[in-house]
Amino acid sequence: MSVNLAVNLGGLGMKNPYTVASGTFGSGREYAELWARHDQYSLNTLGALTTKGVSLEPWVGNPGVRIAETASGMLNSIGLQNPGVEHFCHHDLVWLSSQDVPVIVNVSGHRSNEYAQVIRRLEQEAAVAAYEVNISCPNVDSGGMSFGTDPDAAAEVVVACRKETRKPLLVKLTPNVTDITQIACAVQEAGADALSLINTVAGMAIDPLTRTRVFERGVAGLSGPAIKPVALLAVYRTAQVVSIPILGMGGIRTVTDVVEFLLAGATAVAIGTASFGDPFCAPRLVAELAHWCETEGVRCVSELTRSAI
Amino acid sequence: MCEQSAVNSLAQDHRALVVRIIHLTEPSDFDSKGVQLFQIDLEAGELAAQVQPGQFVHMALPQGSPHILRRPISVYKRDIFTGIVSLLIQIMGDGTRCLSSLETGTHIPVLGPLGRGWNSGNSHSCLLVGGGVGAAPLYLLAEQLAARGAHVDVVLGAATADLLVCEKSYTGLFSSEHVHLATDDGSKGIKGFTTHVVARLMQDCTYQYVATCGPEPMLKAVVLQQPGAIIEVSLERRMACGIGACLSCTFDSTQSRLRACLDGPVFDGREVCW
Repeated sequence: MSVNLAVNLGGLGMKNPYTVASGTFGSGREYAELWARHDQYSLNTLGALTTKGVSLEPWVGNPGVRIAETASGMLNSIGLQNPGVEHFCHHDLVWLSSQDVPVIVNVSGHRSNEYAQVIRRLEQEAAVAAYEVNISCPNVDSGGMSFGTDPDAAAEVVVACRKETRKPLLVKLTPNVTDITQIACAVQEAGADALSLINTVAGMAIDPLTRTRVFERGVAGLSGPAIKPVALLAVYRTAQVVSIPILGMGGIRTVTDVVEFLLAGATAVAIGTASFGDPFCAPRLVAELAHWCETEGVRCVSELTRSAI
Repeated sequence: MCEQSAVNSLAQDHRALVVRIIHLTEPSDFDSKGVQLFQIDLEAGELAAQVQPGQFVHMALPQGSPHILRRPISVYKRDIFTGIVSLLIQIMGDGTRCLSSLETGTHIPVLGPLGRGWNSGNSHSCLLVGGGVGAAPLYLLAEQLAARGAHVDVVLGAATADLLVCEKSYTGLFSSEHVHLATDDGSKGIKGFTTHVVARLMQDCTYQYVATCGPEPMLKAVVLQQPGAIIEVSLERRMACGIGACLSCTFDSTQSRLRACLDGPVFDGREVCW
């Protein structure tokens, strides 16, 4: 039995429901080179590649300690370090255009017009297949998550971005809100084509010996298996109230995790932190999903989406 | 941002076999303040053949543990003929403690060799300064320098005599008059820090190349003491991906923000913003 793994994520055709979580994978080059040395995979094993966040100007990111491991998870406070959209176009995108994989560019900004300007610049680039607007990063002081915790502010960013492009527009939401479905509805109303759920969960770490906070900003973003149930619930609840597709992510590391997210309401999934422990996780799970579907008699992976009772 | 990608172009994920765990200090479950050192010997022939002095491996923890990240560990020794790669590890937290209790015969994913190692060029007068467990990442360099007959002085420092675990390795390469020891408590070598020995050696000898690894205050002090020489330092940072993608292990150089995993871990000591 051949299994149809193809999905459509808000207008973005993907040959399978896999991408990577922004920020865990750079622009894919480091992993692609590692995979190539094992003669096993190339980036086009994935349904799409999601880049690290790109801003209008270069961002230096946060000083001090940037990661800490937790039980079944990790905290990060990278702070969206990136060399800016111009550098991204001339280097990362040039390389990515030779990789035969749809590219989702993650877009960051301090103000709504910054997001729009980044997209305006990227519209000149044929290599961009879709955008993921990040209104949910807990690791920057202005912009980031502050947009994603207020329905009106979230909608304002999405409207500004929507004016710039007809390409698929994904919006990445934060779980650090009382009711994620309110934000999701506002973002759908403002013109988003799909939602990415979830960004990291706000957390912190303290060093008991020095009695200091580990991260200079105090707050950091929790990811990994520890947040999977939180992400699953966010996807499930949101899928009840929106009609646009959902890109599910948060602690996925096995094929059954993937299936759970699809059943909860996701159309596609992103592999994030799991790549750090196993750099071959994402492409391996592509093969495992086909096998799982075969074993379970599922002919078309999109049948699974939103089918949990 | 560096565009380099060739520096670790040999890196692969090996299924290394744990052949030995050697506890170099008394294992203790409760005394988290005392330094605990152990050595892991891995059967990893390809890795042994490929690794360059100063490079590191990214080692997974056993399946089923709550640790999801790998641990970056510099290579201490390698034997091309037996295919054994040795790592010297200090227990710093739960992850390294977990590694210390690996069972012989376990297969463990080890990504490597990674990063940019030492580059001593053709220097014929060299000084190596290792603080604590920082003595280990200098050893393959010492072997390389000994093989080409360079004049080498080695300075090793530790809190106490029983923590100078690499001493015998170095005296196997160089006569003991060139292996200088310092302990905080004076139980072996001079009482004091490696930097005191370095200052004294500097009076008698001009080195073309200095390599140092250990606590950052020591690295900084060594860098400041060495006008003229090429000086390289090996830096330690927390890492997630280990291959340059996640930007967890950055630090500031005089040029830009660099990644310890890919642009280093060995850097020009004068380019580091201390």
